[in-house]
Amino acid sequence: MKPDTCATVFSQGETVKGHFLMTLKAPASFGRAIPGQFIMVRLEGGTTPFLSRPFSIYSIYSRGDDTFVEIFYKVVGKGTLAFSRLQEGDTLDILGPLGRGFDVPPSGGKIVLIAGGIGVAPLSFLAQRCGEDIPDTEIICYLGATGAEAIAGLGRLEEICSSVEVSTDDGSRGYHGPVTKLFKRDLSLYTDDTTRIYSCGPRPMLRHLQDLLKGRLCICQVSLEERMACGIGACLGCVTRIRSGGAEGSLVRVCKEGPVFDIRDVEFGE
Amino acid sequence: MNVKMGVDIGGLTLKNPVMTASGTFGYGEEYADYLDLDRLGAIVVKGLSLNPREGNPPSRIIETASGMLNAVGLQNVGVEEFIDKKLPYLRTIDSAIVANIFGESVEEYVKVAQILSNTEGVDALEVNISCPNVKRGGVAFGSDPVLAGEVTRAVKGVSRLPVIVKLTPNVTDITEIARSVEGAGADALSLINTLTGMSIDIEKRVPHLEHITGGLSGPAIKPVALRMVWETVSAVSIPVIGVGGIMDASDALEFLIAGARAVQIGTANFINPSVAIDIIDGIERYLSDNNFDDINNLIGTLRV
Repeated sequence: MKPDTCATVFSQGETVKGHFLMTLKAPASFGRAIPGQFIMVRLEGGTTPFLSRPFSIYSIYSRGDDTFVEIFYKVVGKGTLAFSRLQEGDTLDILGPLGRGFDVPPSGGKIVLIAGGIGVAPLSFLAQRCGEDIPDTEIICYLGATGAEAIAGLGRLEEICSSVEVSTDDGSRGYHGPVTKLFKRDLSLYTDDTTRIYSCGPRPMLRHLQDLLKGRLCICQVSLEERMACGIGACLGCVTRIRSGGAEGSLVRVCKEGPVFDIRDVEFGE
Repeated sequence: MNVKMGVDIGGLTLKNPVMTASGTFGYGEEYADYLDLDRLGAIVVKGLSLNPREGNPPSRIIETASGMLNAVGLQNVGVEEFIDKKLPYLRTIDSAIVANIFGESVEEYVKVAQILSNTEGVDALEVNISCPNVKRGGVAFGSDPVLAGEVTRAVKGVSRLPVIVKLTPNVTDITEIARSVEGAGADALSLINTLTGMSIDIEKRVPHLEHITGGLSGPAIKPVALRMVWETVSAVSIPVIGVGGIMDASDALEFLIAGARAVQIGTANFINPSVAIDIIDGIERYLSDNNFDDINNLIGTLRV
């Protein structure tokens, strides 16, 4: 009944400044993960950090009898700082895979990924899966970062995608401006019925994307990030407002009903 | 050695003293993949009001030193949907089911209590007069001995089930409230609910919680909870259930030794969803190792 939650750090490294790629040797049950799903990770024993932290899955693979889970994260607080100091052989408690992932598209057509910063993590996993499972599909990625030094996950995407367009807020590399404006430049190239858009990034970016897609009919799913305590639907800490269930919409759990939502359903607020 | 783990909480019989605290265990089903629910002493469900409640806007939680603040604000499906959609599953579980109830007025508490008291599958009521995250009701009743007694008496008057009253620590003297509630007919007490707290984002200079203040839980509050349980046990003769920051079996044993007849596991469920089972096993092992054949012989044996 009680699931196996014990994981071991297989490797960890800083890929770009402040961004870490950690590979965990995980129980075999994690092999069923689909892109967009997440895991809850906790340091064993102590109370600092106290709660588990949610991480999108960056990749899953098996080698022999072993299952590996990759997480790709940016150090933003006490929890991620503590994780960044872990070394090969350290153990962690992990729970998952959790939540509702992306609807993986049928074959044919175009897949557009729009990533802001570390939001690249679940999209890269999706690109990888699509590349493996639906080889006749064109995958185009728009990757945004604050500056050239903070572009995360580019190398792997370049291997998988047909093209990767980069933008930076400071113009130090690629398009100068937000990634959504870069995407807007190309918007007319995509027809609604053959394009599926997937996005993850800061809320202002997703709100801008929502505005851009007004009047368009293409499918667009986004993965949201929220603080969570449990990750399994009990604490009600991670709710977000969705435009259904009455005039005011309703509050739903990002961990359970999400983290992936139709972009048109999400109320991003001001 | 076969240890007797059963306890009696004012007419509610539990197979063991480990309960899951309201608001930390959903409606039970959320945890079905992580532990054997049949092994729990009791499940206390998320606080129920007469009508569904949306709760407070996000953000609702923030981690603090050895704990967390929450301002969920009693989001729940309402008592009717609970009975239609959630209770059928709970009835398949071989543990006591305690319905935590909440109202913005004495009349609402009474209505919810009446409905649940006449529903098959609910074994006891826990009256929440201690939520710090709602504008009306909640802690407003729990911090005034007269109002606390009034709610208790009214609920008791319409309920055929054992009535547990959950107390707030946000008062000067918890024993005064406890005595008032006992005098009004409560069958048992559970304490403590969360301590009111606050946390600020210094970059943006805004509160981390949209509700500004929230309820502090987790191991940070355990010493406070233990002290209040110990004081209350000496002040009343009805059973007391210990709640507050219990993370493992040794924490639970502290409360039992202090005189709590049972314990509730709260925030610990969030970080280890199967922790309640570890705690049951740990208590049993302790009793066996220390030659107790009945848990009731351990309860209240603090040497002072």
